[in-house]
Amino acid sequence: MHVPDGVLPLWVYILFLVVSIPTLGFAIRKVNRRFDERLTPYMGVLAAVIFAAQLVNFPVPPASGHLVGTTLLAVMLGPWAAMVIIALVLFVQALYGDGGILAFGLNFFNMGILGAILGWSISLVLFKGLRRFRDDKSAVLMSTPVAAFIVTIMMAFVLGLELLAIPGLGFEFVIVITAIHAIIAVGEGILTFVILLYFVRAKPKLVSFLSESIASKTIRESPLKKEMPLEEMSVVEEAK
Amino acid sequence: MERDTFLKVVLPTVVLLIAITSVLIVTGLASENPDGFEWALFEWAGVEEPSGSYGGLFTFLGSGPVADAIAGGIGIIIVLLLAYVFFRYSSRNSE
Repeated sequence: MHVPDGVLPLWVYILFLVVSIPTLGFAIRKVNRRFDERLTPYMGVLAAVIFAAQLVNFPVPPASGHLVGTTLLAVMLGPWAAMVIIALVLFVQALYGDGGILAFGLNFFNMGILGAILGWSISLVLFKGLRRFRDDKSAVLMSTPVAAFIVTIMMAFVLGLELLAIPGLGFEFVIVITAIHAIIAVGEGILTFVILLYFVRAKPKLVSFLSESIASKTIRESPLKKEMPLEEMSVVEEAK
Repeated sequence: MERDTFLKVVLPTVVLLIAITSVLIVTGLASENPDGFEWALFEWAGVEEPSGSYGGLFTFLGSGPVADAIAGGIGIIIVLLLAYVFFRYSSRNSE
């Protein structure tokens, strides 16, 4: 899904840089407002996992594809932190010649902004629906891969539309690139499930959808709950 | 970073990631044509791959699976450090 430099007209690259760079700045500001220092090593690990997963392309004859991972990150860390990690990964990839430096804005728009917002929103809707019937861990494990599957296809469709800026390309190109990504999206869903399963079992607090329910469950079960406001309660839990 | 977290989580994960990606790349189990589907599509649509574009930081290593595995391993460490430094800084900002 990485678009290299020199394929699209220059104005398209500039347009997406103009949209993406301020959005990245906004995401960084949002991330700066809330963070637990103890979780920072895991952020590094997650970024490394996504970079490594994008290094390895799985064959989808006659083509190939790789994990994007934005939906996974958005469910785990929230959409803003997901955007920042994808930006870091894309930046290093651009230095490596995978995707372009000028094309950074376009690639970040597709995989970072769209992926994070859509991935987080669709996962949240599915998660809230599923948790009526299942426990939170099962709900997040079911909702996230399905959302990753849907979002991969949506990102490919948008990419196809963007590539129509290349003179001579017709709408059949959009259909073909979307259809191929529908197969790649199955791989995205499977890999998302496997990586998420590890974190749900090993470090559920790192999965934002679960950490909220863990916090509210802890507060519900605390004997102090009737005497203390919610914010103070979280401080008490944090101190424990 | 706490020494315990580094030894129990970060180091094993990084070693495992580098080992898995290196094995997949060197043994040719990964696709040898990264993002090739897009170029195949472009060719099908009559768009030629641009020539003379930027090859990347590690072009001096040459091409081939071993060079790709080395570059990939270095990239994993760079991304990990960048993300760690960024989030560490931002978490201190928020305190």
